[in-house]
Amino acid sequence: MAGESSVKINYLGALTAGLWRENPTFRLLIGMCPPLAVTTAVKPALTMGLSVIFVLVCSNLAISLMRNLLKPHLRIIMFCLSIATFVTICDLYLRAFAPVMSEILGAYVPLIIVNCIIIFRAEACASKNDVWFSILDGIGSGTGFTIALCIMAGIREILASGTFAGIAVMPRGFVPWAAMQMPVGAFVTLGLLLGLASLLTAKKAN
Amino acid sequence: MDRVYILIMGFLSVVIVNNFVFTKFLGTCPYLGVSGRLDTAFGMGMAVTFVTAMSGIMTWLIDFYVLVPLGLEITRYICYIVVIAGAVQLVEMYVKKFFPVLNKSFGIFLPLISTNCVILGLCLFINIWGTNNLLEVAVLSTGTGFGFAVAICIMAAIRENLIMVDVPESFKGAPVTLITAGLLTMAFMGFTGMIR
Amino acid sequence: MFSKLKYFIAESWLLLVSSFLFGLLIAVADAAWSAKIAQNKAEKLSGLMTSLVSDANSFEIAIKEANLPGNGGQTVKTDIYKALDKQGNCAGFAFIAAGTGFADKIELVIAVDARCEKLFGFNVLSSNETPGFGDKMKNAIFSNQFKGAPTGKLELIKIGDAGKIDNEIVAISGATVTSTAVINIFNKSIKSVKEQLQQKGLITGNGG
Repeated sequence: MAGESSVKINYLGALTAGLWRENPTFRLLIGMCPPLAVTTAVKPALTMGLSVIFVLVCSNLAISLMRNLLKPHLRIIMFCLSIATFVTICDLYLRAFAPVMSEILGAYVPLIIVNCIIIFRAEACASKNDVWFSILDGIGSGTGFTIALCIMAGIREILASGTFAGIAVMPRGFVPWAAMQMPVGAFVTLGLLLGLASLLTAKKAN
Repeated sequence: MDRVYILIMGFLSVVIVNNFVFTKFLGTCPYLGVSGRLDTAFGMGMAVTFVTAMSGIMTWLIDFYVLVPLGLEITRYICYIVVIAGAVQLVEMYVKKFFPVLNKSFGIFLPLISTNCVILGLCLFINIWGTNNLLEVAVLSTGTGFGFAVAICIMAAIRENLIMVDVPESFKGAPVTLITAGLLTMAFMGFTGMIR
Repeated sequence: MFSKLKYFIAESWLLLVSSFLFGLLIAVADAAWSAKIAQNKAEKLSGLMTSLVSDANSFEIAIKEANLPGNGGQTVKTDIYKALDKQGNCAGFAFIAAGTGFADKIELVIAVDARCEKLFGFNVLSSNETPGFGDKMKNAIFSNQFKGAPTGKLELIKIGDAGKIDNEIVAISGATVTSTAVINIFNKSIKSVKEQLQQKGLITGNGG
């Protein structure tokens, strides 16, 4: 067992790892569907990000609580079960209190179940660590994911419709790029951002 | 004749026009991860086609004959994911027992299929489209898996040639693959509106 | 036999217990929010209907679960609503009509006047079109052509005067397939709705 001080550092590390060093989208390249699919505007992207944080924290909590009881061959199905439960709750909440967003996101809310980030954090972190560590890890990874979503959505919304979260930001006479709203815009934006991310990492390493 | 026409058009629609990878961004993870070599991509595509067809039909049956009559639509997502995980496990066991050679070439990809968004996405979209006919469900699910296979094979073929191209250092790997995928979606956009 | 059962329970008790707990969690969430969800749906529908029928003050169900012709000879059940103005007179009728295509679905709210002779227009309730193309149906030039058009058979034309209100609807450029789908939904549903309303004697006067 490590000393108390190093444990504390670990907790902080769990919170910040997801922001950049282990950012799910830019560094680990997992859970790539939502960054492409729901980033035509900032508001749905933010909703999606918050939903993922909620599901991630709850499922990490649940799995961390039962980590000592898990049978290896029933592990994956337990993960799926707990994730699906919290996604269902999240979906119900959105439908009740944010019906517009729920409609825009549509099938992508239930698709959080198969978002690789959540099952990856469950497998890599929550099934091995204690409850507080898992919760912090969930918050960190989820926030990193949300930030990535918002960067993507910000770029695409500004270029596609000249607005940011519904507020006009571009000067008058700006011609919207319809292509940014279409699938091609999603793929190319994410490709360029990933290239930029690896360029920054390479610079840092030098 | 009318029925056959609907089935054929539905199949073409999910393979080409409404390809899940290009229009709904589903299955992007394996699309980037496994598309390095054509033969593994093909194997993955075929495995996904099989699982998609199976779980599409099974979830529809469960939905139509159990969940809706009993008013249990709220547990839909849980049922879907359990069915999919079960189907993948079944395929894994079957392949291990009867095709050990194939099992070796699939390796780790088989268990990973259960977190492939294409499959759950298809089950959800079949529900959203309101398809109410077993034959149509079967055709649409097979078509969706097939569409994924087509997309991943095209990508793998491009990436095999991409190795020989001089790409900027920081854009090697995933970034240039994504940009290529973007150009591919543009090509596939040409089919939009051909069929509904 | 008994040892097998014991083995089964030993292996899966966690799965069973947690399934029960998770089921309980979902049930609680559903019980707390299902009323709100239903209310949201009703509010959205009545909002869409009110924007179509300008005189409407309130809505009541005229025919519950009427059968409308759906895709491939099947029938779809939908409620037909009667719009009432401030004096309580019938101001028109509205209903939801869906068109399922090949791996696609559009749901429209359609409104007609009290005599079922003229269209009030349509609103899109839900559509899962490709991003970037989806909003074309909501294009005002297209949807305004339906406002005041006769309830007879509608026809789609490629070139024409979109400002003229008649049974010829000019297609959205670049989205002919979508336009066709919308027209098909109208042609399939309106006739059946009119017949059913006449059968029940809900249409005032001898409107056709």
